[in-house]
Amino acid sequence: MSEKLRYAEEGEVHLDFHGATNTTIDFIIGKFGLAAMDEIFRKVGKDVYRSIHEDLIAGDTGQLVAHWRHFFTRESCDYDIAVDADEIVLSVRHCTAWHHVAKLVGTPSSHFCDQTSRTNEALAEGSPFIIDTEITGPGACRQVIRRR
Amino acid sequence: MIPSDHYTRFYNEVFKFLEAEGEEVLEAYFLAISKNQEQHILELIETKGLAGMEEYWTHIKIEENCDMDIDRNEDRLELRMNVCPSLSKVLDSDAEPMARYCDHCAGWIGPIFDKTGYYLVYDVIDRKKPQCVMRVFKDEAKAKAAELDVKLLMGWPGHKVS
Repeated sequence: MSEKLRYAEEGEVHLDFHGATNTTIDFIIGKFGLAAMDEIFRKVGKDVYRSIHEDLIAGDTGQLVAHWRHFFTRESCDYDIAVDADEIVLSVRHCTAWHHVAKLVGTPSSHFCDQTSRTNEALAEGSPFIIDTEITGPGACRQVIRRR
Repeated sequence: MIPSDHYTRFYNEVFKFLEAEGEEVLEAYFLAISKNQEQHILELIETKGLAGMEEYWTHIKIEENCDMDIDRNEDRLELRMNVCPSLSKVLDSDAEPMARYCDHCAGWIGPIFDKTGYYLVYDVIDRKKPQCVMRVFKDEAKAKAAELDVKLLMGWPGHKVS
Protein backbone atom coordinates (compact mmCIF):
# COMPACT_ATOMS: atom_id res chain seq x y z
CA MET A 1 0.00 0.00 0.00
CA SER A 2 1.36 3.40 -0.99
CA GLU A 3 0.50 6.24 1.35
CA LYS A 4 2.83 8.73 -0.33
CA LEU A 5 0.83 11.77 -1.42
CA ARG A 6 1.40 13.36 -4.83
CA TYR A 7 0.09 16.64 -3.36
CA ALA A 8 0.57 17.28 0.35
CA GLU A 9 0.19 20.98 1.08
CA GLU A 10 1.04 22.34 4.50
CA GLY A 11 0.70 25.78 6.08
CA GLU A 12 -2.45 27.86 6.21
CA VAL A 13 -5.70 27.10 4.39
CA HIS A 14 -7.81 29.56 2.40
CA LEU A 15 -11.36 28.32 2.84
CA ASP A 16 -12.84 31.11 0.69
CA PHE A 17 -11.72 29.07 -2.32
CA HIS A 18 -14.73 26.87 -1.60
CA GLY A 19 -16.94 29.90 -2.27
CA ALA A 20 -15.29 30.31 -5.67
CA THR A 21 -15.88 26.60 -6.36
CA ASN A 22 -19.56 27.12 -5.58
CA THR A 23 -19.72 30.11 -7.96
CA THR A 24 -17.91 28.08 -10.62
CA ILE A 25 -20.34 25.16 -10.36
CA ASP A 26 -23.35 27.45 -10.78
CA PHE A 27 -21.67 29.30 -13.67
CA ILE A 28 -20.72 26.18 -15.64
CA ILE A 29 -24.05 24.43 -15.12
CA GLY A 30 -25.98 27.63 -15.90
CA LYS A 31 -24.14 28.20 -19.19
CA PHE A 32 -23.27 24.70 -20.37
CA GLY A 33 -25.38 22.23 -18.39
CA LEU A 34 -24.68 19.49 -15.90
CA ALA A 35 -22.79 17.23 -18.32
CA ALA A 36 -20.11 19.90 -18.85
CA MET A 37 -19.56 20.28 -15.12
CA ASP A 38 -19.43 16.52 -14.69
CA GLU A 39 -16.80 16.29 -17.44
CA ILE A 40 -14.62 18.88 -15.70
CA PHE A 41 -14.84 16.92 -12.44
CA ARG A 42 -13.97 13.80 -14.42
CA LYS A 43 -10.78 15.50 -15.60
CA VAL A 44 -9.98 16.51 -12.04
CA GLY A 45 -10.36 12.89 -10.96
CA LYS A 46 -8.36 11.38 -13.79
CA ASP A 47 -5.81 14.10 -14.66
CA VAL A 48 -5.21 16.27 -11.60
CA TYR A 49 -5.39 13.21 -9.34
CA ARG A 50 -3.71 10.91 -11.86
CA SER A 51 -1.45 9.48 -9.20
CA ILE A 52 -4.36 8.40 -6.98
CA HIS A 53 -6.28 7.18 -10.05
CA GLU A 54 -3.36 5.06 -11.21
CA ASP A 55 -2.89 3.61 -7.73
CA LEU A 56 -6.55 2.59 -7.69
CA ILE A 57 -6.21 0.98 -11.12
CA ALA A 58 -3.28 -0.97 -9.68
CA GLY A 59 -5.54 -2.09 -6.81
CA ASP A 60 -4.03 0.20 -4.17
CA THR A 61 -6.33 2.38 -2.06
CA GLY A 62 -3.55 3.63 0.22
CA GLN A 63 -2.95 7.04 -1.33
CA LEU A 64 -6.65 7.88 -1.51
CA VAL A 65 -7.15 7.08 2.18
CA ALA A 66 -4.02 9.08 3.08
CA HIS A 67 -5.33 11.95 0.91
CA TRP A 68 -8.62 11.91 2.79
CA ARG A 69 -6.86 11.94 6.17
CA HIS A 70 -4.48 14.73 5.18
CA PHE A 71 -6.99 17.13 3.69
CA PHE A 72 -10.03 16.48 5.90
CA THR A 73 -7.73 17.05 8.88
CA ARG A 74 -6.23 20.20 7.33
CA GLU A 75 -9.71 21.64 6.87
CA SER A 76 -10.80 20.69 10.41
CA CYS A 77 -13.67 18.50 9.22
CA ASP A 78 -15.43 16.20 11.65
CA TYR A 79 -14.87 12.78 10.08
CA ASP A 80 -13.62 9.29 10.56
CA ILE A 81 -12.40 6.51 8.33
CA ALA A 82 -13.21 2.87 8.97
CA VAL A 83 -11.13 0.29 7.12
CA ASP A 84 -12.24 -3.31 7.05
CA ALA A 85 -11.75 -6.30 4.78
CA ASP A 86 -14.67 -5.53 2.44
CA GLU A 87 -14.87 -1.77 2.37
CA ILE A 88 -13.36 1.52 3.43
CA VAL A 89 -15.85 4.07 4.73
CA LEU A 90 -15.23 7.78 5.11
CA SER A 91 -17.97 9.31 7.25
CA VAL A 92 -18.05 13.11 7.14
CA ARG A 93 -20.26 14.57 9.84
CA HIS A 94 -19.23 18.19 9.29
CA CYS A 95 -17.82 19.18 5.91
CA THR A 96 -15.94 22.43 6.39
CA ALA A 97 -16.23 23.27 2.68
CA TRP A 98 -20.03 23.03 2.61
CA HIS A 99 -20.49 24.91 5.89
CA HIS A 100 -18.05 27.65 4.87
CA VAL A 101 -19.98 28.21 1.65
CA ALA A 102 -23.24 28.21 3.60
CA LYS A 103 -21.77 30.96 5.78
CA LEU A 104 -20.73 32.95 2.70
CA VAL A 105 -23.80 32.63 0.49
CA GLY A 106 -26.60 31.12 2.58
CA THR A 107 -27.42 28.06 0.53
CA PRO A 108 -24.68 26.25 -1.39
CA SER A 109 -25.38 25.14 -4.95
CA SER A 110 -27.58 22.04 -5.09
CA HIS A 111 -24.70 20.56 -7.11
CA PHE A 112 -21.96 21.58 -4.66
CA CYS A 113 -21.33 18.00 -3.54
CA ASP A 114 -21.01 16.80 -7.15
CA GLN A 115 -17.36 17.79 -6.82
CA THR A 116 -17.07 14.82 -4.45
CA SER A 117 -19.40 12.34 -6.15
CA ARG A 118 -18.20 12.89 -9.72
CA THR A 119 -14.52 13.14 -8.81
CA ASN A 120 -14.78 9.91 -6.81
CA GLU A 121 -16.39 8.16 -9.78
CA ALA A 122 -13.57 9.35 -12.05
CA LEU A 123 -10.91 8.28 -9.59
CA ALA A 124 -12.33 4.76 -9.60
CA GLU A 125 -12.94 4.55 -13.37
CA GLY A 126 -11.21 1.50 -14.84
CA SER A 127 -10.12 0.29 -11.40
CA PRO A 128 -11.21 -2.79 -9.42
CA PHE A 129 -13.11 -0.43 -7.08
CA ILE A 130 -16.25 1.64 -7.01
CA ILE A 131 -16.52 4.69 -4.80
CA ASP A 132 -20.08 5.52 -3.77
CA THR A 133 -20.85 8.93 -2.33
CA GLU A 134 -24.03 9.24 -0.29
CA ILE A 135 -25.07 12.68 0.91
CA THR A 136 -26.39 12.05 4.40
CA GLY A 137 -27.37 15.60 5.32
CA PRO A 138 -26.38 19.25 4.92
CA GLY A 139 -22.59 19.20 4.82
CA ALA A 140 -22.43 15.52 5.64
CA CYS A 141 -21.74 12.45 3.55
CA ARG A 142 -20.55 8.89 3.47
CA GLN A 143 -17.97 7.81 0.90
CA VAL A 144 -17.46 4.09 0.46
CA ILE A 145 -14.71 2.30 -1.44
CA ARG A 146 -15.49 -1.31 -2.23
CA ARG A 147 -14.45 -3.87 -4.81
CA ARG A 148 -16.64 -4.20 -7.87
CA MET B 1 -14.54 17.70 -1.33
CA ILE B 2 -11.91 19.16 -3.56
CA PRO B 3 -9.60 20.57 -0.87
CA SER B 4 -9.18 24.34 -0.86
CA ASP B 5 -5.47 23.59 -1.37
CA HIS B 6 -6.37 22.13 -4.76
CA TYR B 7 -8.80 24.79 -5.91
CA THR B 8 -6.24 26.25 -8.32
CA ARG B 9 -5.75 22.91 -10.03
CA PHE B 10 -9.53 22.61 -10.40
CA TYR B 11 -9.66 26.23 -11.63
CA ASN B 12 -7.05 25.31 -14.27
CA GLU B 13 -9.37 22.60 -15.63
CA VAL B 14 -12.23 25.10 -15.72
CA PHE B 15 -10.10 27.60 -17.66
CA LYS B 16 -9.13 25.00 -20.25
CA PHE B 17 -12.78 24.13 -20.79
CA LEU B 18 -13.85 27.78 -21.05
CA GLU B 19 -11.00 28.82 -23.32
CA ALA B 20 -12.10 26.10 -25.75
CA GLU B 21 -15.63 27.55 -25.65
CA GLY B 22 -14.47 31.06 -26.57
CA GLU B 23 -13.02 34.27 -25.19
CA GLU B 24 -16.43 35.74 -24.32
CA VAL B 25 -17.32 32.93 -21.92
CA LEU B 26 -13.90 33.08 -20.30
CA GLU B 27 -14.46 36.79 -19.68
CA ALA B 28 -17.98 36.12 -18.42
CA TYR B 29 -16.48 33.65 -15.95
CA PHE B 30 -13.86 36.15 -14.76
CA LEU B 31 -16.71 38.58 -14.13
CA ALA B 32 -18.67 35.93 -12.19
CA ILE B 33 -15.62 35.27 -10.00
CA SER B 34 -15.09 39.02 -9.65
CA LYS B 35 -18.66 39.39 -8.41
CA ASN B 36 -18.06 36.53 -5.96
CA GLN B 37 -14.90 38.23 -4.70
CA GLU B 38 -16.66 41.53 -4.06
CA GLN B 39 -17.97 40.12 -0.80
CA HIS B 40 -14.37 39.84 0.45
CA ILE B 41 -12.80 43.07 -0.79
CA LEU B 42 -15.28 45.68 -2.08
CA GLU B 43 -16.20 47.22 1.27
CA LEU B 44 -12.54 47.36 2.32
CA ILE B 45 -11.68 49.34 -0.82
CA GLU B 46 -14.70 51.60 -0.57
CA THR B 47 -14.16 52.44 3.09
CA LYS B 48 -10.38 52.32 3.48
CA GLY B 49 -8.95 52.72 -0.03
CA LEU B 50 -5.34 51.62 -0.43
CA ALA B 51 -5.18 50.69 3.27
CA GLY B 52 -8.18 48.39 2.78
CA MET B 53 -6.46 46.71 -0.16
CA GLU B 54 -3.34 46.24 1.98
CA GLU B 55 -5.50 44.68 4.70
CA TYR B 56 -7.09 42.26 2.21
CA TRP B 57 -3.82 41.13 0.64
CA THR B 58 -2.08 40.81 3.99
CA HIS B 59 -4.79 38.30 4.89
CA ILE B 60 -4.36 36.57 1.52
CA LYS B 61 -0.59 36.46 1.92
CA ILE B 62 -1.06 34.47 5.14
CA GLU B 63 -3.91 32.19 4.09
CA GLU B 64 -2.55 31.37 0.64
CA ASN B 65 1.02 30.96 1.90
CA CYS B 66 2.34 33.57 -0.55
CA ASP B 67 5.93 34.71 -0.80
CA MET B 68 4.89 38.30 -1.46
CA ASP B 69 6.06 41.80 -0.54
CA ILE B 70 3.40 44.42 0.06
CA ASP B 71 4.30 48.10 -0.11
CA ARG B 72 1.92 51.03 0.24
CA ASN B 73 2.49 54.74 0.02
CA GLU B 74 0.24 57.77 -0.45
CA ASP B 75 -0.17 57.15 -4.17
CA ARG B 76 -0.21 53.45 -4.69
CA LEU B 77 -0.18 49.90 -3.40
CA GLU B 78 2.36 47.47 -4.79
CA LEU B 79 2.18 43.69 -4.49
CA ARG B 80 5.38 41.99 -5.53
CA MET B 81 4.70 38.28 -5.81
CA ASN B 82 8.03 36.50 -5.51
CA VAL B 83 6.56 32.99 -5.60
CA CYS B 84 2.90 32.73 -6.54
CA PRO B 85 1.35 29.67 -4.86
CA SER B 86 -1.49 29.57 -7.37
CA LEU B 87 0.59 29.20 -10.54
CA SER B 88 3.17 27.11 -8.65
CA LYS B 89 0.50 24.49 -7.91
CA VAL B 90 -0.76 24.52 -11.49
CA LEU B 91 2.77 23.99 -12.76
CA ASP B 92 3.21 21.22 -10.18
CA SER B 93 0.24 19.19 -11.35
CA ASP B 94 -0.24 15.98 -13.27
CA ALA B 95 -2.71 17.87 -15.48
CA GLU B 96 -1.58 20.19 -18.27
CA PRO B 97 -1.40 23.87 -17.25
CA MET B 98 -3.57 26.33 -19.17
CA ALA B 99 -1.12 28.57 -21.03
CA ARG B 100 -2.93 31.76 -19.95
CA TYR B 101 -3.57 30.72 -16.35
CA CYS B 102 -2.20 34.04 -15.02
CA ASP B 103 -4.90 36.01 -16.87
CA HIS B 104 -7.48 35.14 -14.23
CA CYS B 105 -5.92 37.34 -11.58
CA ALA B 106 -6.30 40.67 -13.39
CA GLY B 107 -9.50 39.14 -14.79
CA TRP B 108 -11.26 39.25 -11.44
CA ILE B 109 -9.57 42.16 -9.65
CA GLY B 110 -9.45 44.58 -12.60
CA PRO B 111 -13.24 44.98 -12.79
CA ILE B 112 -13.37 45.71 -9.05
CA PHE B 113 -10.81 48.52 -9.41
CA ASP B 114 -12.78 49.88 -12.36
CA LYS B 115 -15.86 50.00 -10.13
CA THR B 116 -14.06 51.72 -7.29
CA GLY B 117 -12.12 54.32 -9.26
CA TYR B 118 -8.59 52.96 -8.94
CA TYR B 119 -6.11 52.25 -11.73
CA LEU B 120 -4.50 48.85 -12.03
CA VAL B 121 -1.15 48.13 -13.66
CA TYR B 122 -0.65 44.39 -13.71
CA ASP B 123 2.74 43.11 -14.83
CA VAL B 124 2.60 39.33 -15.21
CA ILE B 125 6.26 39.39 -16.36
CA ASP B 126 6.18 35.86 -17.82
CA ARG B 127 3.16 33.52 -17.82
CA LYS B 128 5.42 30.54 -17.20
CA LYS B 129 6.98 31.92 -14.04
CA PRO B 130 5.12 32.21 -10.73
CA GLN B 131 5.92 35.85 -10.11
CA CYS B 132 4.26 39.16 -10.92
CA VAL B 133 3.97 42.77 -9.83
CA MET B 134 0.62 44.43 -9.30
CA ARG B 135 0.37 48.15 -8.71
CA VAL B 136 -2.82 50.04 -7.92
CA PHE B 137 -2.87 53.83 -8.27
CA LYS B 138 -5.20 56.58 -7.20
CA ASP B 139 -4.08 58.71 -10.10
CA GLU B 140 -4.60 57.67 -13.72
CA ALA B 141 -1.58 59.58 -15.03
CA LYS B 142 0.71 57.82 -12.59
CA ALA B 143 -0.75 54.47 -13.66
CA LYS B 144 -0.17 55.33 -17.31
CA ALA B 145 3.43 56.24 -16.53
CA ALA B 146 3.90 52.96 -14.65
CA GLU B 147 2.62 51.00 -17.66
CA LEU B 148 5.78 52.04 -19.53
CA ASP B 149 7.85 50.04 -17.07
CA VAL B 150 6.29 46.56 -17.37
CA LYS B 151 7.36 43.36 -19.11
CA LEU B 152 3.94 41.80 -19.80
CA LEU B 153 0.98 44.08 -19.18
CA MET B 154 -2.25 42.27 -18.41
CA GLY B 155 -5.74 43.43 -19.35
CA TRP B 156 -9.14 42.36 -18.02
CA PRO B 157 -12.78 42.38 -19.16
CA GLY B 158 -13.59 45.89 -20.31
CA HIS B 159 -9.94 46.93 -20.34
CA LYS B 160 -8.01 45.47 -23.22
CA VAL B 161 -4.32 46.12 -23.66
CA SER B 162 -2.60 46.04 -27.03
